[in-house]
Amino acid sequence: MLLGNRHAAGRPAAGAEAVRLTSVHKVYGRGAAAVTALEEVTVGIPRGGFTAVMGPSGSGKSTFLHCAAGLDTPTSGTVRLGGTDLTGMSEVRLTELRRSRVGFVFQAFNLVSSLDVTQNVTLPLRLSGRGIDKKWLAEVLARVGLSDRAHHRPAELSGGQQQRVAIARALVTSPEVIFADEPTGALDSEAGREVLTLLRQAVDAAGQTVVMVTHDPVAAGYADAALFLADGRIVDSMTRPSADRVAERMAVLGGRA
Amino acid sequence: MLSLAWHTLRNRKGAFAGAFVALMCAAALITACGVLLDTGLRGGVRPERYAGAPIVVGADQQVHWTKDKKDKVKTKSKPLTERAWLPADVAERLRGLPGVRRVVPEVTFPAWTARGPAAGHAWDSAALTPFTLATGRPPHTAGEVVVDARAGLRPGQALTVSATAAPKTYTVVGVTTQALPSGSSLFFAAPEARRLARRPGQVSAIGVFPASAQPSAQTSAETMVRRALRGTPARVYTGDARGPLEFIDAAKSRVTLVSMGGALGGTSLLVAILVVVGTFALLIEQRRRELALLRAVAATPRQVRRMIGREALLVGAAAGVPGAAAGLGVARWLRTLFVDHGVMPANLALRLSPFPMAAALLATLIAGWAAARLSARRTARIRPAEALAEAAAEPRRPPLARTLIGLFALAGHVTLLAVLGALDTEAAATPVTFLAVVLAAFAVALLGPVISRAAMALLTQPLRLSRVSGHLAAANTRANARRFASVITPLTLAIGMTCTILFVPATVGDAATRQARDGAKAGHVLTGRVPPDATATVRSLPGVRGVTEIVPTTIRAGAGHGKYSARGLTPEAPAQTIDPGVRAGSLDRLAAGTMAVSATAAGHMHARLADEVPVTLGDGTPVRARIVAIYDRGLGFGDVLLPYDTITAHVDDPLPRQVLVTGGSADAIRQAVRGYPGVHAESAGQAQEDRQAKQADNAEVNLVIMGLIIAFTAIAIVNTLAVATAGRARELALLRLIGTTRRQVLRMLRLETLVVTLTGTLLGSAVAVATLSAYATGMTGSARPSFPPLSYLAVLTAVATLALFATALPGRLALTADPAETISAPDG
Repeated sequence: MLLGNRHAAGRPAAGAEAVRLTSVHKVYGRGAAAVTALEEVTVGIPRGGFTAVMGPSGSGKSTFLHCAAGLDTPTSGTVRLGGTDLTGMSEVRLTELRRSRVGFVFQAFNLVSSLDVTQNVTLPLRLSGRGIDKKWLAEVLARVGLSDRAHHRPAELSGGQQQRVAIARALVTSPEVIFADEPTGALDSEAGREVLTLLRQAVDAAGQTVVMVTHDPVAAGYADAALFLADGRIVDSMTRPSADRVAERMAVLGGRA
Repeated sequence: MLSLAWHTLRNRKGAFAGAFVALMCAAALITACGVLLDTGLRGGVRPERYAGAPIVVGADQQVHWTKDKKDKVKTKSKPLTERAWLPADVAERLRGLPGVRRVVPEVTFPAWTARGPAAGHAWDSAALTPFTLATGRPPHTAGEVVVDARAGLRPGQALTVSATAAPKTYTVVGVTTQALPSGSSLFFAAPEARRLARRPGQVSAIGVFPASAQPSAQTSAETMVRRALRGTPARVYTGDARGPLEFIDAAKSRVTLVSMGGALGGTSLLVAILVVVGTFALLIEQRRRELALLRAVAATPRQVRRMIGREALLVGAAAGVPGAAAGLGVARWLRTLFVDHGVMPANLALRLSPFPMAAALLATLIAGWAAARLSARRTARIRPAEALAEAAAEPRRPPLARTLIGLFALAGHVTLLAVLGALDTEAAATPVTFLAVVLAAFAVALLGPVISRAAMALLTQPLRLSRVSGHLAAANTRANARRFASVITPLTLAIGMTCTILFVPATVGDAATRQARDGAKAGHVLTGRVPPDATATVRSLPGVRGVTEIVPTTIRAGAGHGKYSARGLTPEAPAQTIDPGVRAGSLDRLAAGTMAVSATAAGHMHARLADEVPVTLGDGTPVRARIVAIYDRGLGFGDVLLPYDTITAHVDDPLPRQVLVTGGSADAIRQAVRGYPGVHAESAGQAQEDRQAKQADNAEVNLVIMGLIIAFTAIAIVNTLAVATAGRARELALLRLIGTTRRQVLRMLRLETLVVTLTGTLLGSAVAVATLSAYATGMTGSARPSFPPLSYLAVLTAVATLALFATALPGRLALTADPAETISAPDG
């Protein structure tokens, strides 16, 4: 069975954008202590693409990801996820939306240590009360190369394998978008390459949409497009980024910040 | 979700061990208290002496009165403290009833021998057990006695018996085949027994034997007996109901068990909730990262709360079942201790029913579940992005609601202290003291983050003197106020509770000793059971100016039928021997129909000098007494002083337990009582020491009972510190990796423990001092709690040692692992 077919079936046809942020502001704290993390961010993430969000530390990358994924609500502006407006949604509805339409891969501590690989992967399904398709599960595990590790616990896996479990968990719900927050940040370059290749394959073979926050130009080199954030604003973008060009741009941004 | 909870539990056994231990101890304590309570409420004693008589007629061994409460009339009944007797002519009504074969009246009186106490009876009534002769013959004359199988005597031997009059030497003429399990028996010839009982025209019980042993014959005989007794004060006892008639002390013990079981159970339940909430809060604090991940990935706040609740239910069930089973063992152990200390008669069997276990299991489940849900509230509600960010650092400010509830608990504590300051009976004040301490601990738990921040700001300054370990300890202590708050609570509770438990008896005891010493005017004291002729001899000695015989008893008095410790004293010139601090009236006016009362008791009776007050004597006899004196030293001299003659016919043992003698020479007095076995002449100072020894013994009983709660708080300290330290494996590994030596890390942990212990000690001591002062104000009239320095120091040392031990052990364990591996493990 082709992964692509499965996706095509359940996806709303309308719109070429998976995520749309319009005039998004995010301010933490109040009064004199207020810190603006995002300012006037308006951007669309194309469906079926691999987008890297780049920026130096403190540029608002993580806040961008949290707002786009419904993990956090913007102070003002709107976020649409696959045609659904997230504005004013309750925490419970946001959670339900996340578990059916969003997948996550964080930098570290992605897994529940007391659950084995299979249980971690199927956690979103279990929490939403959906049945588990065994064939599909096997397929996903095979894709991330963990078929023989199905009943290992996170402590028995390497860092790269743990991130692959997280990718499998993100894939298993066939989400609208997979958000990855520095997925290679805690890995060596070899394991990092494996993880990035998997994300790339998810886009190419399965038609998934991936948004990845990173500060690593090499990681950005795997993406179709790169957005550059500095001081909470989108300052630049790049299509078909290569590691060298991204590094160059980052050097400039870093100097600015 | 249940399976998720199950997996978490299975794989985080270590982390949940703390909660498991806390819940298991709680279940054991609650079960044990439940068994005591159940025994008190429904437990019975089997008849021994009356086992052979199918029907026993006796007086009602309870006092009844009605209480007008607005428009409702309530009837109250309480067990008597001394045996109520029956008029002897009741037996005449029963004799010759159809279906009744034999009627056997009985007298009972204390008869001490060199071997200790025994119950004296007439041989006529031997059939009530039945006692039969193994050797020898029945007693015929006033100088003969039959002993039981346990006495180890043979016919022809002499036996000196001190009954209710002068001791007398008897000749053993017979030995019975039997002996009662719970006491020795002596049998005299009928006229001698009646003389010794000192109750002419009265019997303690009447055994009725139906014509045949068939149940139907017995029932019809019983009906006949009941009919014949209509209109008399006599009651009919059959089956196991004969036990309480025989052992009237059992009823008293049952009341004690109910109040003790209730107070202990209630306190331990509250302590359990506190400990379990603390443990779960700590556990959830440590799992923030995992819970945040669950929230981010897919779980709604409700699902997270439910999962945590189910984890708690699973832990509760796993801990509650063995805990409840262990509780039965604890109850048995407590019973042994109680019997040894005379709190409970040996023949009052524990009532082992499934109810206490079921109640304990339910309480554990509910306590654990509620604690977990309470602790999970914040974590579950918080936004996942916040949670992910917050997983590392803890929130800056405790939620307002928590602080408000904490202040509310503090206000409750202060209110209880005010209430306590106005309570002047031990029965009312004691449970309130424990409640006050628990409430203070709740306040500390809730206000913990605020308190610890304030305390740390002060206490961590000196730590910085130590460059590495001290600096780190100070930084940790300040940054992790919430974790330290969780640790401070059990320390405060342990110190506050232990000091209160230990020093409550001392506070009252010392005040009583002070009063007794200040009011003692007699230079000599005769102790033991002092027969009248010994007193008479001493009275006639040259130089003796005053002799006062004292018989202790318990009475009820006033409209409320309050219970008071009373003393009967021979009223000839009592002012020569005692000075109870009379503030109104005079002890010299103490005579038949009058009494003297302490100011406290007068307040309870709403009575003033010269008022006539209804009094119920120990055996239930109602009399009226006019108050002729009101005195201050109630703790030292008892609440009520009555003329000796008023009570002597209404107590089980009429011999004075104490005779105070003013004047005369010690040698002469000692000489005078030499011939009386068991009677000792002591100086006032020795008597004082005896008194203190007895007080220490009482404190020991108290300690045994409440010791379980102290042990529980100690377990809570170990638990919390161990869980807190074990949860820091990653942090400790990091410190090791960046070059901190093992020694420095352990030193850091020790210093941190010292800081929290110091904070807990200050708080706990403050709580104890406040509570004990309030208690002392109510009970003794002066806010002067007793804080014996040595015991206090011992408590502090024990707690500090425990705390250091509980940190060092898991700390060392965490440090044995390879730090590089620990830090890269997915979850510490």
